Amino acid sequence: MGKAFDPSLIVDFIPTLIYYLGVTLQILTASVLLGMVIGIAAAILRVFRIPVLNQFVILYISFIRGTPILIQLFLVFYGLPAILLFINIDISRMDALYFVIITYALSNGAHFAEIFRGAIKAVDYGQTEAAYSVGMNNSQSFFRIVLPQSIRIAFPNIANSIIGSLKDSSLAFTIGVMDMMGRGETLIAATAHALEVYLSLAVIYYAVVLLFEKIFRLYENRINRHQSVDVSVTG
Amino acid sequence: MIYLKDIKKSFNQQPVLKGINLKIGKGEVVTILGPSGSGKTTLLRCLNFLEKPEEGIVQVGDIQVKSKKATKREILSLRRQSAMVFQHYNLFAHKTVLENVMEGLIVTKKYKKAEAKRESELLLEKVGLGDKHDHFPSQLSGDQQQRVGIARALALNPEVILFDEPTSALDPELVGEVLSVIKAIAQEGITMVIVTHEMSFAKEISDRVLFMDGGVIVEEGSPLEIFNAPKEDRTRQFLNRISRDFSVSFLEERAN
Ligand SMILES: Nc1ncnc2c1ncn2[C@@H]1O[C@H](COP(=O)(O)OP(=O)(O)OP(=O)(O)O)[C@@H](O)[C@H]1O
Ligand SMILES: [Mg+2]
Repeated sequence: MGKAFDPSLIVDFIPTLIYYLGVTLQILTASVLLGMVIGIAAAILRVFRIPVLNQFVILYISFIRGTPILIQLFLVFYGLPAILLFINIDISRMDALYFVIITYALSNGAHFAEIFRGAIKAVDYGQTEAAYSVGMNNSQSFFRIVLPQSIRIAFPNIANSIIGSLKDSSLAFTIGVMDMMGRGETLIAATAHALEVYLSLAVIYYAVVLLFEKIFRLYENRINRHQSVDVSVTG
Repeated sequence: MIYLKDIKKSFNQQPVLKGINLKIGKGEVVTILGPSGSGKTTLLRCLNFLEKPEEGIVQVGDIQVKSKKATKREILSLRRQSAMVFQHYNLFAHKTVLENVMEGLIVTKKYKKAEAKRESELLLEKVGLGDKHDHFPSQLSGDQQQRVGIARALALNPEVILFDEPTSALDPELVGEVLSVIKAIAQEGITMVIVTHEMSFAKEISDRVLFMDGGVIVEEGSPLEIFNAPKEDRTRQFLNRISRDFSVSFLEERAN
């Protein structure tokens, strides 16, 4: 076991650890952005029931939902280089960070896809018909009318999912990425003050989550301002 | 202008349109009457292929489409001949009033933004919403929303405007506003096809009235012919029922 609990160490540890928050946010940002692209594309394939690809997406989503993210991380870390070696691409030297980003992008993509699918269906079909009636084609009506509204509808769930993803990213250290968690592990090895390190990490993660929640709520209020029926302004 | 030949449409093997033939001339205002479920909405929606007929020919303006082998491109050009005003308005909820009207101009008519804005502002002025540009649809009353719907349709300067019960979702006291806007447009010589249950409005505005029942056009004629001297039993029954309902509700209103 570690040494006697010394809360004053937390004050020392937090700045050391927070220095690595950048890596965590980097993983998060890249995997959320890629996840958005994957998620929207997958949702489109599902909603419009594109043959073959639709089935493929169903399988992908169910696999991601049905397996622990830690295992997905290892599958990508060991599996992707093995597969690419077949076509003579050697990525075994690639920075572990990229494997983490790929894994979380795939994971986010699957979750976002389900959220977007629901949100796309939630937009009243009458608006699509109205778009057709003013002469838009399928993709114009989808991208100009349906998608912007689905993104708004999806936003609260996407925000939750992003916060989940932030916390999940703490697993990145298992394949050797030096993020906050990774730095924590090395601190524990060096000082044997595990509890203080984990408490420091908890404080940082919690603070970042609270900050994210605040930002998301502000943004949500902003994009939804027109949804509120404000008769007093109409007068 | 509009030419329909032998239009057939069914839902789940139930025929809803059983061979509709129709010609409408430029500038004509045609109203379609008929009992619920007679296929009025379906007919209107076949005109812009929101419903795809199984058989027949649809022509609007110069664009003729044979239902059986309609291509996407043909359907798109057919749709660009017309505009539609919906029973439930169907405004773009994430766009302001002004943007709703501009949208068609920018996307399908390729107007520059400033041009589209100018044009749309004029139209909103015309439907009496000059002061509501920056409102979102959810901030408007039903009749205001429907007037935006009308401005959106007018903006496209279409060969024909299709109206599907434009006032039936409105509170009775708001119906008048929308009807008077439609009357004003009718006077400008725009071709219009209107499905409505507002009999006195139909009588006043129409050049020609169609009476539909059971998926066919039972009778057509001038408002005078249809309302004062209907030839077909079914038309007579329908009009009797409507006028009875009307006088009943009228009396009820008086009584209250
Ligand atoms: N999308 C659909 N799927 C299945 N059945 C439909 C569909 N649209 C219409 N129908 C059926 O077709 C028939 C004609 O409908 P339509 O809406 O054209 O009637 P309508 O004359 O407009 O009636 P109303 O006065 O009630 O609006 C009805 O029996 C209706 O149930
Ligand atoms: Mg109808």
